[in-house]
Amino acid sequence: MSRVLTVPLPSLRGSLTSSPIFRKCKPYLFLLPALLPLILFIFAPLVRSLYLSMLSWNMVSPNPEWVGFANYQELLTSEEFWKSTVNTLKYAGCLLVFLLVLPFITAYSVTRVPIRVQNFYKTALFVPHVLSLAVASAIFLWLFNPVVGVLNELLSLVNISAINWLSSPTWALFSVSLIVAWNTFGYHFIILLAGILAVPGEIVESARLEGMKRHLGLLRRIIIPLCGPTLLFVFIMTVVMGIQFAFVPVQMLTNGGPNQETTHLVFLTYQYGFQFFRSGLASATAILTFGLFLILIIVQALLLDRRVHYEN
Amino acid sequence: MKIKITIWHVLLMVSLLLSFFPLLWMISIAFKESSQVFSHILNPLPVPLTIEHFQHVWSTVPLLRYLGNSFFVSSVVTFFQLLTSLLAAYAFTQFQFKGREFLFYLVLASILIPIQVTMLPNYLLLSDLGLVNTYAGLILPQLANGLGVFLLRQSFRSIPSSILESARVDGAGDLKRLWTIMIPAVKPSVIALGILFFITTWNEYLWPLLVINDETKLTIPLAMQLFISTEGGTSWGPMMAMALLASIPPLVAYFLLQKHIISSFLHSGVK
Repeated sequence: MSRVLTVPLPSLRGSLTSSPIFRKCKPYLFLLPALLPLILFIFAPLVRSLYLSMLSWNMVSPNPEWVGFANYQELLTSEEFWKSTVNTLKYAGCLLVFLLVLPFITAYSVTRVPIRVQNFYKTALFVPHVLSLAVASAIFLWLFNPVVGVLNELLSLVNISAINWLSSPTWALFSVSLIVAWNTFGYHFIILLAGILAVPGEIVESARLEGMKRHLGLLRRIIIPLCGPTLLFVFIMTVVMGIQFAFVPVQMLTNGGPNQETTHLVFLTYQYGFQFFRSGLASATAILTFGLFLILIIVQALLLDRRVHYEN
Repeated sequence: MKIKITIWHVLLMVSLLLSFFPLLWMISIAFKESSQVFSHILNPLPVPLTIEHFQHVWSTVPLLRYLGNSFFVSSVVTFFQLLTSLLAAYAFTQFQFKGREFLFYLVLASILIPIQVTMLPNYLLLSDLGLVNTYAGLILPQLANGLGVFLLRQSFRSIPSSILESARVDGAGDLKRLWTIMIPAVKPSVIALGILFFITTWNEYLWPLLVINDETKLTIPLAMQLFISTEGGTSWGPMMAMALLASIPPLVAYFLLQKHIISSFLHSGVK
């Protein structure tokens, strides 16, 4: 201590920052600003959700009641939970076509046209993603309107009878997916394009010289395997984020209807928690949804792993 | 030069058409006279042109206030997410320490935990802290972003070691090194990530819906929702005018920066 006090100030500072304790702590000091919010607002809530899912509580009463797995039991025997689960899978299916398959084909198309045109498409196709989903929902509310909407008017030109886009049980879920798809397509398109462009040109050329002339073969044998990590990322984004995105048009336009045809697990969680104030049921729904997503992601990762060629 | 129209061109033109179809109609309806909205559905041209819908929105909705709210919240969140991600990515790539692997996987795992699992406990916590209906409550749970940490770590790892070594010889401190060497070396990734954070926060719906119910504190998406529910589903002109006004700031920003944005996305680790 006395030794430290006798040294001049600049080297005091030097000796402090180079002291072994400080150097040991330094990495954690750099991590703390990121880790603290993640722990406080993501991991701790996850644990608290597990705990809340074992309670029967209306979020205001001072005495929550411990009910064990009763909430899960109630869910697994309730019709609306299974309806929401099936709908969630339907959404996932729809969105995987709109937000993984179609943007991938579009991204591949872009690599097949001259550079100057490429740049135009890159810029243009991203535009809808700049708008918020709430704005997109408002626009589509008009497009879908059965009386004054332009979609039915166009259909009537080719003699197809009017469709109740948002209020018919057959079409509502598809229509909601369409809103999400339109808004998010450009973003996924750019990510997938980045993945395809990262495939080394020599590999594509040599495959072509070896006689892989057809696009399908090229895609299946070279490009898709080499884009594995990108595809997995977009898959996760589509499943995890897609259902959350679908929450917006559902909450704004359909309120889960008609006849619960557009409700899904995120919306159900919201209703249980913030409309019916049943925190236990809401938490149990959230936990089960999370489990379902994890299973989907693991299955997809395993499927891809069989054919993914990792760079390192 | 002969331009060959291939199947690829056709595919691209179809996606282009679908991307702009709703936008063009939004603009068209926003300028059409109310009677025309109902009678000449398929005519996209707003003749005669009117700005009555904009005047209506302007006089009934404090739009500037909502745009300001959205801008403030998105900027603060973007700033903090970038800051915390940069510091953490620096630690993961430049230091050796106990638990590095574990902590990194913890950060990765945070990406997979969706908001529906965290929203109720977070709401309860913020309500205990008295932060419901405040900007702080809106911002606080979003100070860090696992995806940002992950992507910046990828970018930092791609910096050639020769650049890093030269900085070490200089004896620069860690923060100085991060600011003067590492960030400039991966500038496109940082910009792309910042834009991504900003757009995501700007468009956020679920969390603001839960936290904010004071009408003066609404963000743009919530204002849009409020407008639809109060005006009912029939005043299409004002609705589209509102949608258009709400979209102009992000659209202008995008067109000013578009070259930057797209090339940043393509050449950074955001994939």
